This record gives sequence, C-alpha cells and structure tokens, in this order.
Amino acid sequence: MFFHIVLERNMQLHPRHFGPHLRDKLVAKLMKDVEGTCSGRHGFVVAITGVEDIGKGLIREGTGFVTFPVKYQCVVFRPFKGEILEAVVTMVNKMGFFAEAGPVQIFVSNHLIPDDMEFQSGDVPNYTTSDGSVKIQKESEVRLKIIGTRVDATEIFCIGTIKDDFLGVISDPGAAV
Amino acid sequence: MGRRREDEEEEEEEGAYYSEEEEERRGGKGSRGGRGKRSRVESFIDDAASEDEEEEEEEDDDEDYDGGGGRGRASRRSFIDDARADNPDENVGRISRLHSNPMEEEDDTEKMAAYILRRYKEPSNFDYVDEELTEVEQQALLPSVNDPKLWMVKCAIGHERETAICLMQKFIDRPDLQIISVVALEHLKNYIYVEAEKEAHVKEACKGLRNIFTSAKITMVPTREMTDVLSVTSKSVDLSSDTWVRMKLGIYKGDLAKVVDVDDMRHKVIVKIIPRIDLQALSNKLNDLDVAKKKKSLVPPPRFFSVDEAREMDIRVERKRDRNSGEYFEVVGGLMFKDGFLHKTVSRKSISIQNVRPSLDELERFRGVGDDMNEDMASLFINRKKGHFMKGDAVVVVKGDLKNLLGHVEKVEDDTVHMRPKRPDLLSTLVFSEKDLCKHFNPGDHVKVVSGVREGATGMVVKLEGHVLIILSDTTKEHIRVFADHVVESSEITTGITRIGDYELHDLVLLGDLSFGIIVRVESEAFQVLKGVPEKLELVLVTLREIKCKIDRRTSAEDSKGNIVSTKDVVRVIDGKFKGKQGSVEHIHKGILFIHDRHYLEHSGFICAKARSCFLVGGSIGNSRGMGMDTADPRHGAFRSPARIFESPGRLPPRGPYANFGGRFGRGGRGGRGNDALVSKCIKIKSGPYKGYRGRVKEVNGALVRVELDSLMKIVAVKREDIADTDTVATPLRESRPSWGSETPMHPSRTPLRPIQTPMWEPGATPDGTQTPIHNQAWAPMSPPRDNQEDGNPGTWGTWGSSPAYQPGTPVVKPYEAPTPGSGWATIPGSGFGDTPGNAPTQPTAQPVTPIPTSYLPGTPGGQPMTPGNIGMDIMSPAIGDEGESNWLLPEVLVNVSRADGSTSGVVKEVLPAAGMK
Repeated sequence: MFFHIVLERNMQLHPRHFGPHLRDKLVAKLMKDVEGTCSGRHGFVVAITGVEDIGKGLIREGTGFVTFPVKYQCVVFRPFKGEILEAVVTMVNKMGFFAEAGPVQIFVSNHLIPDDMEFQSGDVPNYTTSDGSVKIQKESEVRLKIIGTRVDATEIFCIGTIKDDFLGVISDPGAAV
Repeated sequence: MGRRREDEEEEEEEGAYYSEEEEERRGGKGSRGGRGKRSRVESFIDDAASEDEEEEEEEDDDEDYDGGGGRGRASRRSFIDDARADNPDENVGRISRLHSNPMEEEDDTEKMAAYILRRYKEPSNFDYVDEELTEVEQQALLPSVNDPKLWMVKCAIGHERETAICLMQKFIDRPDLQIISVVALEHLKNYIYVEAEKEAHVKEACKGLRNIFTSAKITMVPTREMTDVLSVTSKSVDLSSDTWVRMKLGIYKGDLAKVVDVDDMRHKVIVKIIPRIDLQALSNKLNDLDVAKKKKSLVPPPRFFSVDEAREMDIRVERKRDRNSGEYFEVVGGLMFKDGFLHKTVSRKSISIQNVRPSLDELERFRGVGDDMNEDMASLFINRKKGHFMKGDAVVVVKGDLKNLLGHVEKVEDDTVHMRPKRPDLLSTLVFSEKDLCKHFNPGDHVKVVSGVREGATGMVVKLEGHVLIILSDTTKEHIRVFADHVVESSEITTGITRIGDYELHDLVLLGDLSFGIIVRVESEAFQVLKGVPEKLELVLVTLREIKCKIDRRTSAEDSKGNIVSTKDVVRVIDGKFKGKQGSVEHIHKGILFIHDRHYLEHSGFICAKARSCFLVGGSIGNSRGMGMDTADPRHGAFRSPARIFESPGRLPPRGPYANFGGRFGRGGRGGRGNDALVSKCIKIKSGPYKGYRGRVKEVNGALVRVELDSLMKIVAVKREDIADTDTVATPLRESRPSWGSETPMHPSRTPLRPIQTPMWEPGATPDGTQTPIHNQAWAPMSPPRDNQEDGNPGTWGTWGSSPAYQPGTPVVKPYEAPTPGSGWATIPGSGFGDTPGNAPTQPTAQPVTPIPTSYLPGTPGGQPMTPGNIGMDIMSPAIGDEGESNWLLPEVLVNVSRADGSTSGVVKEVLPAAGMK
C-alpha cells in the first residue's frame, strides 16, 4: 500500500557544500540517501515529493560537518499481510516462484499455488494447469495475496499466495507473443 | 530379642525370592549378621546402633535397585525416623518380624502376596510419617568424621560379590574382626567397599582372602563422598506401548522403534521397527548355502519387509498367529513381521527411552497408509522440554472432546496450561494438561525452529499439514518441514546451525579424494559441498570425517582479460553455463572461482566457474591493476615513443640511439634516475626468499629494491639482481647500463647544474616514476616555464636547451669528452651526436642551426620520456604532448636559440627535415 507521509531525517552535509546552493545540495543528498531505502515501519521510500522544513544546522565539532534536521514528504510503499498486489514473476523454480512488485520481492510457494498447477521444468520453467490454459512463467504478471512479510534492514520480503479466488495470472507473456 | 536370628531368617527368605543378583546384598547382610553378633557381644553401643540403621538403608537400596531411588530415599528416611524414635531396634525388629512370619508358612501363597503387599507398602508409610522432617535434620545424618570410614579395597575382577561373602563368613567365624560392613556394588568392578574405623582393621579382615591381593592398596573414601557410594540414581521411566524408543545395540543401533508391548516381568519389550534385512543373505542362510562371511560393517538399509519379495527369493514365509495377542505375523526364520515392520523382542536395557526425538522423516516412514500422523504426534509430546508453552502462544487442543479448539495460553502451571479459547462463545479459560495441547501457527507467521534437526533455522510458515509446518527458510529459501511443536514465533533471522567441528558454512574444504568444494549447507551431521568442478553443479554430501582440511589460502587468479582476481572481488561470468551471473568471489582455488551470486537461489547462491571464463567487474583491485598497467606501459613508451616522435619527421638513422639517448639522458639528468625507471614497475622476484612473487617496485635504494608484493600487501627489500621485470623492458634497461657507467663521473660535476635544472628536471623526472598524481604535478609546472621561455626567458628548457644551464656545463663536457672514447657514447651508432656535445660549445654563432637542433633534440627526447607517459594518462597528455612537440616544431613560433655564447630569439619559420629551424 502506498502512503504519502512526512518523515524527518538528520542530514549531515560536508562543509564544501556550504554556499548559495546549500539547500539544493541538501535536497539532492536527501533524495540520494533516502529514495529506495526501506524501513520496517514505513516500508520503501519510493520518492520524495517535497521538503517541508529544514531546521537549523548544527556544526559538528572536529569534522565540520553540519547536521540539518530535514522534514520531507515522501511516498512510501509498505506491503501488508492480506494485501492484494500485482507483481511480475521474476523466477520460477520447483519450490514456487518469485515475483516483484516494485521493490518488494514476494515468494509464492508451490504449496500456495493452486493444486491443479504443476511445475514444468525445462528451458522456461513454469507452472501450468493440467489443461495448459494458464501458465505462470518468468515475466508473467500475477495477482497475489500477501500472507506474510519479513522486514530486513534493507528489504521487505513477502510470502504470497495465489490459491484464492480471483488470484493468479493476469497477463501472460507467452500468450501475447 | 533375637536380632541376629531374624536377620538370618530374612536373609533366607530373600535368598528364596531373589535371584543371585541380590547376592551383593547378602554381602552387606553378611556383615550385618556379623555385626549383629557383635552387638550381642558388645552390647548396644550407640554408634553401632546407628550403623545398623545405615545398613538397613543399604539393604533397602539394594532391594529397590530396579524399583527406583524413591524408595531408597524413603528407606533412608525410615532410618532417620528410627533414629528419632526412642527405641530404634524395636522398630527394626518389628519390621523383620513382619517379614519373617509369613515366610514360615511358605505354602500359603495368598499370605505371601499379602506379605509382599505389606512389605512394599512400608516405605510409603514411612514416607508419610517423615514428611515433617526438615533438611537440617537430614543433613545431621550424613556421615561425619566421627563415623567409621569406608575403604575401597581392590579385589579380583568379577569376584566382588564373592569377596564380600567371604568377608561376611569370616566375620561370622571370627568375631574379633573390627570391620562393620562390606559392600560390593553392581556397577563397580574390581572394588569392594569395607566399612571400618581404621585401615588396619580392613587389612586384618582382608588378610588371607584369595580374591584380595595383599599388595592391593586400600583407599579411604572421603567422608563427603561416602553417601555417593551408595546412592542409587535410577531413572525409572514408564514404558508403555506406542512410545517411541531408540535402539541402543546391534545393527538397529540408533533406529527409531515403536513399543508394541511391554513385558515388565522379564524386562522385555516388543518393538516395531523397520527391518534392516538383506533378503539375499537371509535366503542364502535359510537354504544353507555356503556364503562367505559378510563384512559386519555392511548394514543393510532399513526397508519394509515384503512378503512377495521374500517369496521371490525362495524364502519360506509362514503365517502364524501370536498366542498372546492373537494377531497374525509373517514369520521368516524366526523373525516376525507385520505390515512390513519387524516385531522384535528386545531387552529393556537395549533401548533408550529418553531423548528419542524422532525426526519427521523417521516418523513419516513409520506412518502406514491411512495412519493419522497427528496421533503419532501426541506420543512425542512426552519428550517436550520444560517451559514449552509460554503465555500468549497460540495453541490447539489435540486430545479429548475439545480437539481442534484453538486458543491462547493464559497461564502455565507445571503441567497444566490455562487456555483462553478463541471462540467467542467460550469465555472462561480452560485448563488442559500440557500433553493435550500443541502449538498452532498460521501461514505467514515468522517462526524459529527451536529443536529437532533443523534447530535454529528461521522462516515463514507457508503451509500447515496437521501438526507439521512447512516453512520457507529465510536464508536458503527452501522449504523445511518441522513439527509445530518444535517451533516458536520469532522475528529473528538465522540460518540454523552453521558449523560442525572446525568447518563452517561457506568454507572451502579439501575432501578426502583431493577434490575441493565449498560448504553450501550444514546439515545435522553432514555438509553439503558444492564441488569445485566448473560448469557442473556437483553436490556431494560429506560427513565431517570425509573432510581433510579447510583451504584457507589467499590466492588469486587471472580472469579472461588477465586481470588479477582476488577474493571479495566482483566478477561476472562471461562464458559457460553460468554466463551472465555476477557476484563476489568467495574463494579461489586452482584457478577456480567460487562466486556468490545473491540472486541465484540454489546452493545458497554459490556457483563455481573457471577464473578464465570470468571477468573482473569494477572492483578496487581492477582499478589499481589498471593503473599498474598504465604506468607500466607508458614507461615502455617512454623508451619507444621518442623514437616514434622522431619517426614522424621521417628521420631514420639516428632514431634508436637518440631515443635511447633521450631516455638515458633523461636519466642522466638526475642521479640514479635510471633506477627510477624501475620504480613502480611490475617485477617478478626470481631468487631469494621471495622467489616467485610478483610485485611493484616502490623505491630503488642502491643495490636494494623495495618491492610491494601483490599477494602479500607488504613491502619487502630485495636485491636488484633478484628481480626480473615481468615485461621485456628489463633487458634494454640493463643493456643501457654500461653506458651509464661511463656517465657516472659526469654526475658529480653536473651537480652545480642541478639547481637550475631542478624546476624542470625534478618534476620531469619524477613522473617517470610514473604515478598519475605526480604526473599532474610534474607537468603542471611545465607550462609556466615554457611560457617563460617563449617570453625569451632562457634556462628553463632543459639542460641542453638553456644556455645558462649549459654554460656551466661546458667545462664539464670538455673533460667529459676525454672518457668518451670507449664509453657508451661512442658506441652509439650513426649519430652525429658523439661529436655534437663537443661541438656545441665550440660552434660559432654563425651556424646557429646545427647546434640548436642538436641541443634541442636531445633535449626534446629528454622531455619526451614523460610525454608518452602522459599519453597514457588520458587527461594531460594530448595537451602536453602537443606542447612538448609542436611548441618546438611548429613554424611561426617564437623561439629562443640558446648557444654557448648567448641566446637570441627568433621565430621558427619552417621545420626542416633535419630538425633545424630558421
């Protein structure tokens, strides 16, 4: 789920950036530092949409670095248990398949794939229904439900299921070709 | 009262009832009997009385050998009780009477049963009475220093009991013996204990006994340990059918078995086990075929017995009905099978009941078709650790009417668990026995395995299958099957066990067959090793024994482009099966890289590839190496490029020499600069302690060269002779050395020149030492001098170019001419150079052309060596190269013509092929 929230961060700026463009530098650094990161509480920071407030800088003794408290608005993406997501399959193996929804990696175990879909190894490993009408392979887009999340310092890993109504493949690269 | 008589009676009775196993007790009793006598003789002295009680205790302990320590304790308490009683002997006497009376009417079995009942009830009665006994009182009864000591006497092995009985007999025969008791312990071979006040008493008693060697040492048991000698630690576990046990002996050692029936009387247990039977061997045996004795070590794998298979092997299978249970068994050669399982009668001692912990696999094998695994599960709960449930745990009821009821643990008391059911219509907490509950998880829960084979692993629950969870491991991304019971909810992330012995996950190890590989998984007792076979994923499961050693050498290898790859470098596989994979190198061995690609999921992300089919990506090593190359190459260039530069004008003959001269000259410009040409060169050490190492020259210091070794990250000093250039350049260098020799005298004389040269040569020379930054610095100051020069400021451009510099040199050059013959200078072929220096100063001004180019020319190459160096350094070179050359050689440039007699400035009109200018 996406959120637009205000976060705060203390930015350290090197003294060489002090000058007329200090603010720009600060914002540029903020974007570089923050976008794409992940925190357990807020999820992935997708983009910074604006800077609300830059507080007074505090010069660090010894280094000359200046610490600014910066308040910024950003869009975050945090997957939740029970959330329905659409994701792109990145890898298929006999244990299930991995899919990505933006920065989030989701694993769908073969136990959570409908029983009528079977793993087919080969050049393009895939899960196929017995009648061959539905196929999950790399690049397929699937709709899945998240049943568990694990948050690391740098990533959020989810376990999903497609063993439910209205879940499964929504577009098949094989079919399009 | 006839105490002794009663004792003996008791002894008799016991002899009748108990097998010879109890003989040891008799030993004890013997002494007691003896003591009884003594009591008679010596009257009841206080301490004898208390000793008596202690013996009573011993006796009880022995009796209860199989029954458990509880009773032993009880009897000890009884003793305490007696001690407190006013007349302990009366008490004991009463007991004895109770024992002996029924025995007198031996025929009456009913009475006997009653007697047994009473007899075994007694301790519990005592137990009851003793409850108010405090710990302190108990303590007071422990043997103190004032009590008789226990002596450990060595006797013939296997004759412990016999010895004890002998001693007893001796005591009876000779009342003057001053020992108090003799104990032979079941579990202690080779020793008996004798209780006595003094060692001499023991010696006296033992004298003349066949089984006790006179020389044998008699050791005293420290007072504190006396109680330990006789305390019995027996673990009584009730064995009931359907319990999981493990076999302790034979080919089934370690195998899981399920108790089918327990025969308490004979200490036998019938267990159900998966047979390990070699049908072929069995059939051979049955058919009386003469088969060579099979190796014992070959244990057949456990397999279910199949009647059909057996029939095929011509094994006669009988179908029999068990007398007791009424069940049918297939019987083959005395072995009973049912449903493929072997039903085996084993001694109770040959199975272990505690800590069975069957693994999931084992259980699954046991599970017959249609069996409910969950029922088996219930029996597992016996082995639960304490504190299994915690407040807040989600649990499910597995037994009873409320089966499958979910809830949360509210409170845990010893064995009972208070649970709050999840159902809205059940409000009150319910109390369950711990055994009736099992943990419950939902898919998506993050859990940690706390026991079993996979202990320590963490992951997310993917699916529930009854009480078995399927977990997706966090690290290996594999499915793990575990019992719900072995898991706790946790947010922690670990791999589980990562090491066995000295070997850890991701270690490079040498295997027994001299192959090597990387440990990609650590299982309970084995490692999964990805072998170092490129292009193939060869996985082997090895045990600790099969691993020879850890390979911990820091080596490096060359990638496809000749870059040095060391561990932790990032490489991309550009060839073969894993083409396109990229990751950091974890290990290198024999030119094979073990690369960890975090996007690759199998084998914990490890692939192995030939170093030659990889390419080093970025990486710090790559860069610095590149630098090395850059610096090395331009240096060859330093020698080559002047030639090139001259080539362009199209002058052929003097080229080489000039070039050489230029190079050499440049060197000559600064003392030992030729040595500097070595600096930062990649060299190989060809002899000495560092033989074979490659490195880069840091500094040349007379005959010693300081070399930074590539492999060791260390700077070492080696002799000049010991190094060899990795590049062929070394040879020309050395060739030029003789000519240098001749030059040497010149250096001192030139020293005065140095100050003037310094601004130019100094920085100019340094870059020859080749580091980029230095180059920058070196060349930066160049431009101003040149500007100056264009402004007509002489003396900045080289020794030869600048007249002031040259002039002081002039006298030097003259004397220098003298050694010239036979020196390297003279050997320079085809150059008019030999005489040019000589000429230069003497040349009249009228012919400015000749000296100028000559003086310039060498000057130019003198500067040249640097130029190519710069070409190598992309940034500076083009500009400087241009400067170095075009400034001089382009027409229409204002130049200073420097000569011995002064300088004139003019404009270059034309660049002549002869490199002259107008």
